[in-house]
Amino acid sequence: MRFQANRDVLSEAVSFTVKLLPQRTTLPILSGVLISTTDDGISLSAFDYEVSAQTQISAAVEEPGRVLVSGRLLAEIASKLPNAPVSFATDDNRIVVTCGSASFTLLSMPVEEYPTLPQIEGESGLVPADEFSEAVAQVAVAASRDDVTPVITGVQLEISQNRLSLVATDRYRVAVREIDWDGSVGRSEPSTALIPARTLQEIGKTFGHNGNIQVTLVAKDDRELIAFTAEKKTVTSLLIKGNFPPVKRLFPETVENYAVINTADLIEATRRVSLVLEREAALRFTFNVDGLTLEAIGSEQAQASESVEALVTGDDTVVSLKPQFLLDGLSAVHSEFVRISFTKTDNPNKPGPVLVTSQTSKEQAGSDSYRYLLQPNLLLR
Amino acid sequence: MDYAGRLSAHLPLATRLLVIKADGSLLVHSDGGSYKPLNWMSPPCTFAVSEPDDVQTDAGATEIWTVTHTKTSDRLIVSVHEVLHDSSHELGIDPGLQKDGVEAHLQKLLAEQLGLLGDGHTLVRREYMTAIGPVDILARDGDGRSVAIELKRRGDIDGVEQLTRYLELMNRDPLLSPVTGVFAAQEIKPQARTLAEDRGIRCLVLDYDAMKGVDSGVPTLF
Repeated sequence: MRFQANRDVLSEAVSFTVKLLPQRTTLPILSGVLISTTDDGISLSAFDYEVSAQTQISAAVEEPGRVLVSGRLLAEIASKLPNAPVSFATDDNRIVVTCGSASFTLLSMPVEEYPTLPQIEGESGLVPADEFSEAVAQVAVAASRDDVTPVITGVQLEISQNRLSLVATDRYRVAVREIDWDGSVGRSEPSTALIPARTLQEIGKTFGHNGNIQVTLVAKDDRELIAFTAEKKTVTSLLIKGNFPPVKRLFPETVENYAVINTADLIEATRRVSLVLEREAALRFTFNVDGLTLEAIGSEQAQASESVEALVTGDDTVVSLKPQFLLDGLSAVHSEFVRISFTKTDNPNKPGPVLVTSQTSKEQAGSDSYRYLLQPNLLLR
Repeated sequence: MDYAGRLSAHLPLATRLLVIKADGSLLVHSDGGSYKPLNWMSPPCTFAVSEPDDVQTDAGATEIWTVTHTKTSDRLIVSVHEVLHDSSHELGIDPGLQKDGVEAHLQKLLAEQLGLLGDGHTLVRREYMTAIGPVDILARDGDGRSVAIELKRRGDIDGVEQLTRYLELMNRDPLLSPVTGVFAAQEIKPQARTLAEDRGIRCLVLDYDAMKGVDSGVPTLF
């Protein structure tokens, strides 16, 4: 095999391919990147049976072939090469990489043993990349990190007609965001897919600026997977098995009791006041006609309180919230103001959930469909 | 207090706690250092009390204790100046340390809550005996295939190895085969998880409090 490629293009392609590879694998060949020549360039791919990444770049191919080479090492080399065209050539079981006056010799791994990457065929649709990337960032933070319940360590994608909704929960909060789904390129029957949150976060970052992402659900030999494709880059991930809890029905249909607050002010006040809190402790939020008062009981050594301007509609309300959980919701509303709504409950041992939604001005509710439902703690006094 | 023999050590005069055990050993403790004695003589050894000689009497000693190791002739010599408190107690038969209380309870709870493994799982029996020891739980999955479960509080590599040995043996039994493995623990070390999954063993993290039905006190949405 022999080819020549642009240094920046190659470096970007290699770093994309190896990003999702695991740090350590029980099968050393899976730590490799497969480089194979195509009609008009080369394709790079990585696969560890769970996740795969594949991309194509243009290159001047002088001699076709396929090689498997350590991914992480190649990524590091590619990112440090001098600014000159890079050429690859095989020499027995070695690969010689030359760039300007620099030259590297890498050992190649046996290509024959490398697994075949998943074939992508199935029903698919298109999502706008920027919106999808934003939605992933908004929702994935609420996914559980606890292995006790593997089902909720994923983000649930629900496709119906022309909407795609992303849902994540860790039982203390639920985050939901809906974006446009263009199912005209394939079929668009209602379907769901549960993707590991960490993988999806990486996908969101990778495809953030790529126009439209094609999303395909693949079901083959009872291994279900999902594929994301944009601009000659493809990432696939196995789906988490199991039924995602029906958390969308936890959202209240109407709320009459709510407060509207400047988002940045509330974020800063929450961060400040929670400085004196012990780990896992909650902040006390008092909403009334005068606005919002935040109080941290803290320890014997320190207490804190702060007032923030708030426009309260309905009854005065006191809730106890974990600051980090509230901040996760506030940081994701992406609007100047935020609406915090209070739901009623008949259970004295469980306060009604609090709903966080965006608000473009003091009077005008936000246009996007991000909703964040948070379970308050019990009031201690 | 002087230790003579393979090594020499001296502890200056101070108030000490001396423990003489029924096996003949002597341990010298200070008010600190937890379970660790400052000096000690392990059994087998002999214990002897003698009168101090003139030099020792002048120094203030009232009794000299000599503990001699029977095999090495190492000696621990204690000059007792004053006894503040002296008492002797019969402790009776040692019932032993019960380390596996939680593990046994987890086994009982998981056997009752096999749904945690997935739908349709049924219990065959707890402590299923094989030639090399008992498997914690033998169950059948929804399709009637055998599932061997190894339970641990902390799941490390050793536990995976143990389950692998059981699985290898059980898969030779035509009545059980094919047997799949489940490695269940309250916490599974990343290396153990990698090894287990590489061998096709499923990992299951258990929430002991939730299985016991203990409420964490923090309300959840569902």
